[in-house]
Amino acid sequence: MHNLFKFMVGSIALTGLMACSPALPPNISGVLYCSEGNPESFNPQMVTSGTTLDMTSLQLYDTLIEYNEQQHEFQPALATEWSVSDDGRVYSFTLRPNVQFHHTSYFSPTRTLNAQDVIFSFQRWLDPEHPYHFVSGGHYPFFRATKLDQLIQRISAPSPNTVRIELREPDSSFMSTLSSSFAVILSAEYGEQLLVEQEPQRIDQQPIGTGPFKFRYFRQDVSVNYHRHNAYWRGPAASESVVFRITPSDHKRMLMLLTGDCDISPYPPARDIAWLKAREDVNVQQSMGPNTAFWAFNTERAPFNEPLVRQALSHAINREALIRSVYFDHAVIADSILPDTSWAHVAVPEAYNYDPSKARRLLAQAGYPNGFTMDIWALPVQRSYNPSAKMMAEKMQADLADVGIRANIISYEWRSFRRRLAEGEHDSVLIGWAADHSDPDNFFRPLLTCAAKRSDNNRALWCHEGFDQLVTAAIRTTEIKERQRLYLAAQQLLAEQVPVLPLAHSIRYQASRASVRDILPPTYGGIWLHNVYIDRNEQTEVKP
Amino acid sequence: MIRIILRQLTVLILTLFLLSLLAFSLAYLFPGDVVTNASGVLATDVHYPAVAHARAFDKNILSQYLAYMSHLFSYDWGVSLQDGVSVWQEFKLRFPATLELSLLAMALALLLGPPLGILAAINHNKIIDQVITLFSLSGYSIPVFWMAQLCILIFAVALGWVPIAGQVNPLFDIPLVSGSILVDIWLSEQPYRGIALLNALQHMLLPVIVLATVPLVLLMRLTRNACIEVLRLNFVKGAYARGLSTPEVLFKHVIPNAMQEVTLHISTAFSLLITNILIIELIFSWPGLGRWLVRSIYERDYPVIQGALLLLTSLILLVNITTTIIHAWRFPRVRRELNAT
Repeated sequence: MHNLFKFMVGSIALTGLMACSPALPPNISGVLYCSEGNPESFNPQMVTSGTTLDMTSLQLYDTLIEYNEQQHEFQPALATEWSVSDDGRVYSFTLRPNVQFHHTSYFSPTRTLNAQDVIFSFQRWLDPEHPYHFVSGGHYPFFRATKLDQLIQRISAPSPNTVRIELREPDSSFMSTLSSSFAVILSAEYGEQLLVEQEPQRIDQQPIGTGPFKFRYFRQDVSVNYHRHNAYWRGPAASESVVFRITPSDHKRMLMLLTGDCDISPYPPARDIAWLKAREDVNVQQSMGPNTAFWAFNTERAPFNEPLVRQALSHAINREALIRSVYFDHAVIADSILPDTSWAHVAVPEAYNYDPSKARRLLAQAGYPNGFTMDIWALPVQRSYNPSAKMMAEKMQADLADVGIRANIISYEWRSFRRRLAEGEHDSVLIGWAADHSDPDNFFRPLLTCAAKRSDNNRALWCHEGFDQLVTAAIRTTEIKERQRLYLAAQQLLAEQVPVLPLAHSIRYQASRASVRDILPPTYGGIWLHNVYIDRNEQTEVKP
Repeated sequence: MIRIILRQLTVLILTLFLLSLLAFSLAYLFPGDVVTNASGVLATDVHYPAVAHARAFDKNILSQYLAYMSHLFSYDWGVSLQDGVSVWQEFKLRFPATLELSLLAMALALLLGPPLGILAAINHNKIIDQVITLFSLSGYSIPVFWMAQLCILIFAVALGWVPIAGQVNPLFDIPLVSGSILVDIWLSEQPYRGIALLNALQHMLLPVIVLATVPLVLLMRLTRNACIEVLRLNFVKGAYARGLSTPEVLFKHVIPNAMQEVTLHISTAFSLLITNILIIELIFSWPGLGRWLVRSIYERDYPVIQGALLLLTSLILLVNITTTIIHAWRFPRVRRELNAT
């Protein structure tokens, strides 16, 4: 009997192999997403990497509110309504009724979402005495970096479906922080169950959330498998399952996309994007990353303490050429430190345009007719905002030689690079910033204020009282018009003072097979797979 | 015969003992903390003193070795320095995947290599021989990683016949039991096992073929040369003179004689295959031992390197000893020579 079966299977296999048609699972709708690395955790509260965020946050969890990038406004998610007190310190959220948690082999929820879950999720990173605070390492980098753990004074539940959050001081970026993919809501009931089972660390390994997909299993270096959450409050996802295949090499990811081993592949190799776009069986989506590459001058050192010199340098660099050669045109010129997608963005192109003769004139005016010698520190690692700082530095070296400035390129191993940078040993540095959330404040206060200088994050070591006043006033008001006015003034001030020269905002790419339907460009919150499905009919047509 | 088996087993045990000594001393030879190298537990870990005690690092070297051996046999091979998973647990799932791939490739090499070699030998210096020799020469000289890339580009990307990564399309949702995908599909309670099996075979096709190439051409060349040698001998002429037909001469006299030479080299072919499997697993994203070992070497994950070395070397050793025993059992002349020494 066995032999007969073997023979049959064998012959089917042989015919199949001869016919060379891919054998696909019948009646299963699933999406294969080739991810660029293993997830560090299944709890976005504890991570900073975009890779982990893409795989976890939007798939498994929900946040209280969401940010709509098209309309530049906040929209309801787990919270249906919210209100802010007149002094801007107390926020109240009304929770959505009947939100179901995941029902899995390891957890069966007995109740729907209520205020306890929100309090549990927030207290985990807020309160060091919370039973889960130190579980799985106890680091909450996003909440530490945005200082949300210091901003929130108290969180309480006046009724089972309302949550009240009191801030220490008004902060108009608070809503943005809440809408970020890090501020997810966990299940308090699951937390209690794991405490009883004395396995609290499982909360981050076998996650329970309210998102469109539920966790099935994870195999290191192979895949993360999710299944559809049928009781999802927005309606069940279009595909039954989602598999993240772990493929660190970008070239391999592209090949797998072409062979159908993946349906969606993020970050295709930069040099191949034009070729991929030309293919009929592949679609390329793109979105502008909320990031900026910039060249920061050490404003504490001569001659960079002189605004005239900094202005001269900013006219000496041919940024258009950099976009072509370093980014392969996968970036746009930055005319402000704030990306074009932000509602507060104001372009000041005349302050940074390429004009070598003007640069020479300004240098002469500043008292350096024969130029000077300087160092450019090039960050040693690849970042989303800069694929190769070293190459960029080499191009800039040539531009600077044109105006009589001799530049040396300096690079250290990443850790010592950061340490020396914090100590202010540099003349100038090529670095950048990728935003954590949508609020424009994220590009000003953490980067260029006197406070940032004190906390060693201000690469220009620049401290300007007028600028500090503008951005602090902007964060104290929730009035959009008023904030726009203040940020306009701040960006004009930056254009005059040029503590940093904005270089480029890079573009994030994602490639998908032509059979993938309803896919959206990636956002910095992650990728939205809820509506995505594979059109199998299309696939057979495309196959040769 | 029994004496030979006993002698080979003694050699096996002795070599395994030396191997365990080497693996044990690696913890000392690697830079860094000895306890960490051996167990993967960092010095800052709360369990560190307990682990150091359990591994007898507070006692003399002999008890350390004994503790090492007892850990080895109780499947406590330490944890990975990269991600803290138990090395043995991970090996248990990865080793069958590697074994599956290597056995299939070896089977393919054995199935095709010697017959092609014989075919070349009986057509010595004719077209068939030259084609086969050319093929074997190119197969021998093309590096495996290059050939793998080439196969991927031709058969997967250009022609779209086969997938290029992993064991099976993950949408099949085969529960992970043994690590060997064919076994896992067999064990899974799925209504469409046949299609899953087909899919898995498609995934296997390229890695198995590429992996089989080197041992295949090696065996082919050996068989060809051995056959040509035997064909020149007088007893072949004698057999023909006695009126035996060509197939009779071939199957009764030439091939058995030629195989004596070839059998011994099967283990060489296998160890070549195991060396190549590291690269192949990496290229085809096969979740086996080799891929993990390569990454561990990058990351200096000593407990994993130690364990993987132990496993792979034991495997090669076992194959080697088995081949020697089969060789002695099949060919009485060899047995006499072995006994004489």
